[in-house]
Amino acid sequence: MRNPLIKRIPKELKGDFAKYIVLFTFITVMVGFISGFLVASGSMTQAYDESFEKYHIEDGNFELLYQADEALEEVFEQEKINLYENFYYDKETKDFESTIRIFQNREEVNLVCVMEGELPAKEHEIAIDRMYAENNGLEVGDVLEIGDKSLTTTGLVALSDYSALYESNSDMMFDALKFGVAVVTKECFDTFGEGGLHYSYSWNYDERPADDMEAKEKAEELLELIVEKAVITNFNPQYANQAIQFTGNDLGRDGMVMAALLYIIVVIIAFIFAITTINTITKEAMVIGTLRASGYTRGELLIHYLTMPILITIVSALLGNILGYTVFKDIAADIYYQSYSLPTYVTIWNADAFVKTTVIPVLLMLGINFVILANKLKLSPLKFIRRDLNPRQKKKAFRLNTRIGIMKRFRLRIIFQNMPNYIMIIVGIFLANVILLLGVAFPALLDKYQTDIASNMLAEYQYVLKAPLETENEGAEKYCVTTLETVDDKLRSEQVTVMGIAPESEFVDISFGKEEVYISDSYAEKFSLGKGDTLVMQAEYEDKEYQFTVAGVYHYPAGIAVFMEQEYFNEVFEYEAEYFNGYFASTEITDIEEKYIATKITEDDLTKTSRQLTHSLGSMMDMILVLGVVMYMMIIYLLTKIIIEKNAQSISMTKILGYTNGEISGLYVMATSLVVIGALALTIPLADRVMEYVCIWMLSEYSGWIPYYAPITAYLKMIMLGVVSYAIIAFTQYRKVKRIPMDMALKNVE
Amino acid sequence: MFLEINQIKKHFGEGDSRVEVLKGIDVEIEKGEICVLLGPSGSGKSTLLNIIGGIDSADSGYIAINGEKTADMNEKKLTQYRRKHLGYIFQMYNLIPNLNIKENIEVGAYLSDNPLDVDEILHTLGLYEHRHKLPNQLSGGQQQRTAIGRAIVKNPDILLCDEPTGALDYNTSKEILKLIEDINKKYGNTVVMVTHNDAIKNMADRVIKLRDGVIRKNYLNENKISAAELDW
Repeated sequence: MRNPLIKRIPKELKGDFAKYIVLFTFITVMVGFISGFLVASGSMTQAYDESFEKYHIEDGNFELLYQADEALEEVFEQEKINLYENFYYDKETKDFESTIRIFQNREEVNLVCVMEGELPAKEHEIAIDRMYAENNGLEVGDVLEIGDKSLTTTGLVALSDYSALYESNSDMMFDALKFGVAVVTKECFDTFGEGGLHYSYSWNYDERPADDMEAKEKAEELLELIVEKAVITNFNPQYANQAIQFTGNDLGRDGMVMAALLYIIVVIIAFIFAITTINTITKEAMVIGTLRASGYTRGELLIHYLTMPILITIVSALLGNILGYTVFKDIAADIYYQSYSLPTYVTIWNADAFVKTTVIPVLLMLGINFVILANKLKLSPLKFIRRDLNPRQKKKAFRLNTRIGIMKRFRLRIIFQNMPNYIMIIVGIFLANVILLLGVAFPALLDKYQTDIASNMLAEYQYVLKAPLETENEGAEKYCVTTLETVDDKLRSEQVTVMGIAPESEFVDISFGKEEVYISDSYAEKFSLGKGDTLVMQAEYEDKEYQFTVAGVYHYPAGIAVFMEQEYFNEVFEYEAEYFNGYFASTEITDIEEKYIATKITEDDLTKTSRQLTHSLGSMMDMILVLGVVMYMMIIYLLTKIIIEKNAQSISMTKILGYTNGEISGLYVMATSLVVIGALALTIPLADRVMEYVCIWMLSEYSGWIPYYAPITAYLKMIMLGVVSYAIIAFTQYRKVKRIPMDMALKNVE
Repeated sequence: MFLEINQIKKHFGEGDSRVEVLKGIDVEIEKGEICVLLGPSGSGKSTLLNIIGGIDSADSGYIAINGEKTADMNEKKLTQYRRKHLGYIFQMYNLIPNLNIKENIEVGAYLSDNPLDVDEILHTLGLYEHRHKLPNQLSGGQQQRTAIGRAIVKNPDILLCDEPTGALDYNTSKEILKLIEDINKKYGNTVVMVTHNDAIKNMADRVIKLRDGVIRKNYLNENKISAAELDW
């Protein structure tokens, strides 16, 4: 015969519908959201991984000052490495402010995926990157004004070597608003002329390296060979090319973070289930005792009490998965498409996502509830009948100072009585605060970073020249600049801008002592360096190491930089005493030809990171904020509901004694209010520390450095959100207290 | 008249399951009286007590204490009525489990502007040495004494007792009844006690017998004896 206790399940569901619907909805939405992300990122990762073969993505690229000669081509032939021309122009668009990198349509390497429309076939046609087009409101058929040309957009495309639109590999972040890529026909490409042509080459090994370490060794050998034959200005092996690698790394990392978030939430929900079930067991102790005395086994009762949490988890996880594959997958895909220029993808069944979003949560729920409930149910039938459920019960209640008023002592007793609930509330508030802080502080962090950069730029215009040319620009100041790399075990070194500053500089306010070196605060913070520490760096394309001792830290948030006197710079890098290769200027320099300018750095260039992060993470942060608030409200609602229900008989009795609803709420709801306020005060600083580590971890993968910052307004916003959310819960609990009937004390006997 | 019960009617359920629990009860009780409500299960005695206590409402009729009618009171006023005039003692004590003995009594004291001394009551009830214990660490009799302490600490005009000895053994029951009697003597509260134990009527000033929602007998007990002399 089937266990008749099963008939209680629908009644239990009906009896506590509010609790179950809240938990069911929350798990469903969480699983749906995360499953959607995992499915989208899994499908996109597959499309991304396949794109290496499908679109013949290069093993690396390099750029030369002049076109490669036969000697260099011979080197590649001897080394059995295929070399491809991948020349490009960087052009400014006329109708809106942006740079577009124009390539000739590719046929052998780094092939193009057409997302909409078609590739250009005529001289006045162009196909542009889909994301850049969306960000700038461009559609197929639109005419793009570039220099003196008007080009009609024939297609929206994804260039396989630009899944992340990094203009330069040393950029901290790509900027898909102000930088895009495009392809044109050979005829069109040739009409741009020689000015501004970048001699970029891609290579592919005949025999591909087995892993990144081997790729690094091969790339280093290749670099030595190229340096011998040509003047190299840029060298990006595939493993270190952010435009290719960043997307793949980010897709993987997102999945990891999402799954970890789900597990934490499931563990909290499992404890909430366990606490509510223990509450039910306490209420039903006499029935349990009687059933046990009648012959029901502990296992049968354990299965009975485990059924609801497991059933709710399984059903909500399955529904969540269905929503994940349908609704949420598209939302997640949209978020990825807002960030990356990915090729088209096909949704694939993701067993890993199913395990992460269904199997593991169900096992976590089962494991936690099994351990807690089995422990509770191991008492003898007699103890259940006598309602003697706490084997560790103390002989006396611990004493509270009687000079404290009875109402305060009453509240303290409620807090101590419900400590497991309150601990869960504190843990839940802490977690919700971490999520809320991410939602409120991250946009502020980016804003502050952007403002800080803008107000601490070295100059309005900063130029790096290909040759030391003079200018008539008033106030322009010469300086020297080169790029070194940090030396550590990482696959990708960090680039360090080393600047030689003129004496009495108008742009850099440092009083250098003899042979003294200062570092930017970004450098100092990212690498935990300070005055007296030794910097070890190496030249980018040669085997030469440099060591300096830090004399001080200079406030320059825009990058990882080293400052020294121009004279010392020229001495260290073996230039002539008068050498310079750049200008700081307050106005644009117009008397140096574009072809002699390697880089022009303005505020736009320095703030691209914050712009792109705001653009790609903006909508995500809003969702995170909502998630934090919902989680906060759900945890507090469920746990305070339990506290009120658990004390319903005492509440009923205090009503009979003559306590008003306000006074009773002052006891039971206020006790929770005190814990919530205490938890907010306690967990906000803790959440702040956690967020600092999370931000450092998240941002450490980027070149450069964004310091952690959470403004006081972020905390105020969090407190406000916390208080307002709690006020809603407190109001519902007040109504619950009000609705407890007085005859409950008469009906239920202990 | 101190406590006036006038034409109280009450029913539960509807249709076929409608039961008339009280069918027009009229009683007058003087201040300081011990009134025992006797009757078998289902006679309506606890319902009447709950209506007097303002925790249940009558279909018609009214309760008046010193001329103040409970039927005219809204929820707020009823709360104040209970707070000002009533002390309640139940069969199953209904102590607050997470408060110790002293705190349970203090919960009652908080409601009064002029409460009795809590420590004195603890001594009177023989609970002083147990004052730091939790209710579930005491015997049934000790818990009931705590409930009495909580009820009397605010020195209420009326002490409503619903089967106060129903869960206790013979000796403890007599102890508790003696305590109620002593309190009545000492503080002059009116006591309305519901019981199905016929012997208890002997300690009452007034005896009211209920059956099927109507008063069968209502008389002053001229042969009243002390609770200590009760036997059953």
